Amino acid sequence: MINTIAYGLTIGGILYIISIGLSLTFGTMRIVNFAHGLIYTIGAYFLITLLPIARDNFILGAVLAVLAVVPISYIIERFVVRKLYGVSIDYAIIATYAVVLIGVDLIKWIWGASPIPLSDPVGIDVAFLGITLPLYRLIIILLAVVIFIGLSIFFKKTMVGKIVTAALEDKDAVRSLGINVDKYFAYIFVMGSSLAALGGVLYAPITSVHPYMGSMVLLLSFAVVLVGGLGNIKGTFVAAFALGMVMSVTGRLWGPAAETMVFVVMGIVLIFKPIEV
Amino acid sequence: MTTEQPIIETKEATIQFNDLIAVDGVNFTMKEGEAIGVIGPNGAGKTSFFNLLTGLFFPTGGKIFFSGKDITTVPPHKRVAMGIVRTFQLVSVFDSLPVVDNLILSTNRISPDHESRGAFFFGDAHRQNKVEQCMDALKLMGIENKAHLMTSELSYGDKRKLELAVALSLNPKILLLDEPFAGLSDMEIGEVSQIIREVKKKFSFVIIEHKISHIIDLVQRLCVMHEGKLIAEGPPAEVLCNAIVREVYWGKEEGLTCSV
Repeated sequence: MINTIAYGLTIGGILYIISIGLSLTFGTMRIVNFAHGLIYTIGAYFLITLLPIARDNFILGAVLAVLAVVPISYIIERFVVRKLYGVSIDYAIIATYAVVLIGVDLIKWIWGASPIPLSDPVGIDVAFLGITLPLYRLIIILLAVVIFIGLSIFFKKTMVGKIVTAALEDKDAVRSLGINVDKYFAYIFVMGSSLAALGGVLYAPITSVHPYMGSMVLLLSFAVVLVGGLGNIKGTFVAAFALGMVMSVTGRLWGPAAETMVFVVMGIVLIFKPIEV
Repeated sequence: MTTEQPIIETKEATIQFNDLIAVDGVNFTMKEGEAIGVIGPNGAGKTSFFNLLTGLFFPTGGKIFFSGKDITTVPPHKRVAMGIVRTFQLVSVFDSLPVVDNLILSTNRISPDHESRGAFFFGDAHRQNKVEQCMDALKLMGIENKAHLMTSELSYGDKRKLELAVALSLNPKILLLDEPFAGLSDMEIGEVSQIIREVKKKFSFVIIEHKISHIIDLVQRLCVMHEGKLIAEGPPAEVLCNAIVREVYWGKEEGLTCSV
């Protein structure tokens, strides 16, 4: 049972790191960004390419991979997403899905279509309460908590954080304060994408790296965003861990239902707390 | 100094949404220091006209000038920096922030010289010098003791005052007020119009209002909009005697009398 909980927390941690960017772009810009899953995938592939350059130092490789994603996410924001502000939400779905199709084909062209396995970078198990757990998973859970606290402080304390919080409520009112909202959206987009890439980097050693690894994660992240509330930092955190737990507990009882159950929960939440888009 | 250059001018300003022409060929000029009231029934295009002046919408036809400069396609945040400041019909303060933070956001565009832009935007937003500036603005409205409440805890009237404080702290050259009395009690209307009376000498302002009686002694000129068009303008007494205006407004407001 403790193993199941630990597994749920790991999934929850990863889901949080990925979902927070999606939640902020959805919440502030009302853009359904399918390319978020692609960024996650690219993060994992960059890790594979950069690990040898980093002499198999995982931390260095991870940092480089996340940094390498920054210009790519900026390009996606500048040339695709920025054109979608304020237009109907279906355009965003179509345009960012097009980005995914192009991106996945580029990945297959560069790295090939077959899955690439990656070993646990820490390789140490810790034993407590009579069970053993990979230390790596504990690090992921801890990292998610640290990111949550960091983001909470960022949004509460800094000017950029306040601008984005205000823009979540009313973009036009923020514009009417003389603030170029789109510029801050770009910051938030790049920040959210970097976190998605970090999610890909962290999850790569647990699963295997393949061109479509982003698609299921993206759907799960949407579930987290909808359950947690658009742009809600705390809600996303709670929802990610709750749904991670739903996945691991269901998976233990009946494997094939694990992911489906997440969407069942999402459906129930939406019945009681519908969102306006 | 007294040039005849209008502070704001629109030439055939038009905005069309699909089949609806919300603002239809409006020619509007305003001299510096003038106070103008814009009246008209619901859906007359008053707020859409404000949206054109502030850049939240770009016109589908016509031009907009500010101090002689063509600003037709200048984005809203740059117009605020030029001095075109507005309030909204639905009060637009930020419920999820503390009261004082609404004002801190409005100090954003005046990035202080002594700190780098990075430190300003990513550093602590509650630095002493910023908060002091904001407290002055709150004092003017008499809500300084509520500075550290969450905005959502304010009464509707206090939110209106906060919104006005925010607008004033943006150093307007021209202030556009969109129904500043909507939803207020009679007492609050008195307070808010007193504040407007006090500050209105400092800049030009345009005020949208349904109830003519609320603004008749605040403005020098009335503009009447109807179905997107500017149908009459002039001194209040004259406009209220205009036959077309009386037809549009007939029976809509008690006490609308023609004194001529």
